[in-house]
Amino acid sequence: MLSLRLLHAMMKEEWRLHQSLVGPMGSALFPATIFLFTAFLALVAPRVLSRMPTTTILLMMHVASVLYGLFVGNFGAIGEHVMTRRLGQVSMIMQMPQTYPVSFRRMMAVFYAKDSLFYLLYSYVPLTLGLAVAAPGAGVSLGGVAMLGFTTFISFMMGMGLSFTLSAVSVRSRPLWLLLNAAVAGVAALVYPLGLLPPEQIILPLAYWTERSMWTLGASSVTAVVLALAGVALMKERYESRESRSGFSFLDAEGLFGFTGGLRTLVAKEWAEVRRAGALIPMIMSFAGHLLAIYGMSWVFEAGVGVSLGFNVVFYSGFVGFMGVMTYSFLTNLEHNEYLNVQPVSVDMVVKAKLVLYFTLTAGVSAAYVVGIGLLKNQLSLVPLGLLLAGATSVYVVGVTSYLTSLWTNTMFFDARVILKFCAFVVPPMIVAEIAALMIPMRAGLATPVVVAVSAVLLLASAPLLRRMERRWAAVSFSFVNAGG
Amino acid sequence: MHAIQAVNISKSFGSVKVLDNVNLTVASGEFYGLFGPNGAGKTTLLRVLTGQLAPDSGSATTAGVPHTDPIRLKQRVGIVPEAETPPTFLTAQETLELTCRLRGLADMGERVEHWIRFFDLDEKRDVLCRDLSKGQRQKVMLAAAFIHEPELLLLDEPFINLDPIYQRRLREYLLGISSEGRTVFMCTHILEIAERLCDNVAVIHRGRIVEQGRLSEIRHGGSLEDLFLRAVEDHQVA
Repeated sequence: MLSLRLLHAMMKEEWRLHQSLVGPMGSALFPATIFLFTAFLALVAPRVLSRMPTTTILLMMHVASVLYGLFVGNFGAIGEHVMTRRLGQVSMIMQMPQTYPVSFRRMMAVFYAKDSLFYLLYSYVPLTLGLAVAAPGAGVSLGGVAMLGFTTFISFMMGMGLSFTLSAVSVRSRPLWLLLNAAVAGVAALVYPLGLLPPEQIILPLAYWTERSMWTLGASSVTAVVLALAGVALMKERYESRESRSGFSFLDAEGLFGFTGGLRTLVAKEWAEVRRAGALIPMIMSFAGHLLAIYGMSWVFEAGVGVSLGFNVVFYSGFVGFMGVMTYSFLTNLEHNEYLNVQPVSVDMVVKAKLVLYFTLTAGVSAAYVVGIGLLKNQLSLVPLGLLLAGATSVYVVGVTSYLTSLWTNTMFFDARVILKFCAFVVPPMIVAEIAALMIPMRAGLATPVVVAVSAVLLLASAPLLRRMERRWAAVSFSFVNAGG
Repeated sequence: MHAIQAVNISKSFGSVKVLDNVNLTVASGEFYGLFGPNGAGKTTLLRVLTGQLAPDSGSATTAGVPHTDPIRLKQRVGIVPEAETPPTFLTAQETLELTCRLRGLADMGERVEHWIRFFDLDEKRDVLCRDLSKGQRQKVMLAAAFIHEPELLLLDEPFINLDPIYQRRLREYLLGISSEGRTVFMCTHILEIAERLCDNVAVIHRGRIVEQGRLSEIRHGGSLEDLFLRAVEDHQVA
């Protein structure tokens, strides 16, 4: 009974927390977007992916679900942060075991159930409904769609349970955690690239689609529950407070960024935050991963349809700026900056420091991406043009993002007006650049100057954009979003 | 010469009027206390006076700088905010170094060492602020507000989370700088401490100043607690 009451309270807390971050509109838009996106993909899939075997599509959906679960299931570390006050000003029901007669393991079990329910309602129900829209046209029964929703959700639960268990182990023993991670990676390697194990023996819900056995469904569900219970059992009831000491000095970091002149102190602060939050590698990998995903998606499309799209290195370069939006947003989420409210610093100065760090961290990856695709496609002669377009789109798109959203990118992008302005700023020049890029093989004499001209315009437009950003955000409090905008 | 002058300040959040035509004058060298029940508008007023929030109407001048020039204003004053929020991923020492850099202070090393010693933060100097206790974070916030020796200090609950040893040390420091002719403006609920420190006080209730003047004159022989309760209860009835 207590657990049910806690579950109810946590569901309300989750809903209100979500609303406070993205607003009621943003909260409602998320499942609606999943529904519409899935429905669109499901409607076009029979034509676009006609050459791709159904088994491959099923495999991709289940692998994606496991990865999604792995991504969101880091509850062990969250639990430790809650119990050792490392979440700062945030107060949550999960903190109650510190002062109330309820065990932390029970609290974690309820938290796990709450998150499972939340992801079911917020992601997998709209995903299944989206698939159902296209089911009649694709000759798939609604029962089959419901079963697909169920097996992908169980795959998600397995990923989340595994992530939970591993994160709970990481809090107890770092060496054991490394060993288990190596074991998981080893088992995954047996499936791919070694090919010694079929994927359905690891992702059990996938086996339903080959064996059609309810036993496999039962075994999958039991595995997901066992993994979750293992995570709960491994959680500690008491935690020692940790004291993290810095491995490098903030003043040394200031020396590193001497080239940024008056901004070097703030850039050094940003750099220290990225390093000490453990975000440096994930951020760079995420940026590179998204760029590679674009290349991967076009590869999947070409494999599915069986025809070459003819995307060249300049075309791919045009996406570099788009991907930068997520990296810039990541940078704005690391620290609340409340402290700066009482210092003689304005928001625009911190935005500029973040922009400097953003370009420092991503320039090498962007260049490697363009050169790499140039090598893969044997288009090295187009690499300089690709580098120019990649640089120009990065400067411009991230400049537009900082002008429109400042230090609150993640939150403000849920405002439809901000998104519309962003599209108005970014989409027209990008369309022109990408069409010109695609025309290079046919009419290089016309297309190349157009790409150069668009790049030049974007670079020239970036300077006044930065000045407007300064004027717009100079007098705003660092608590802007918390104060209700 | 006024350290603070607020004229007809009003501020609303949505439909809630938090400050309603507030008028306040603090002379240079005064130790001024602002009191009020929870949610009365103390923190909002302090944020307006320090340029962190723009008022809907009215004007404020703090340390000779209008609220419309927040960077210059913050350069001139020392501020301790309501919540102890030093940068999560900087150490205690680095937070003070960052403060010195942002304020363009020359003798950074000496200043940082002085305040680390003053608050006995030596053992914690290399610990990330995220991992400090609330009291230690508050010490970092206080040190950061004092490090440039401003002429005017605006303090929101400066004694919160401090143990009696550091409450006393802070009290003596504030009395010392007040005797040097520097101005202190303080919001606090700890009336016993305030009574020992403040020359002049104001009581704010539901966004309005309901009582203000020299403490010795307006308490009519009673305690500061009596004055506070009387001022709030009178306006509760009204």
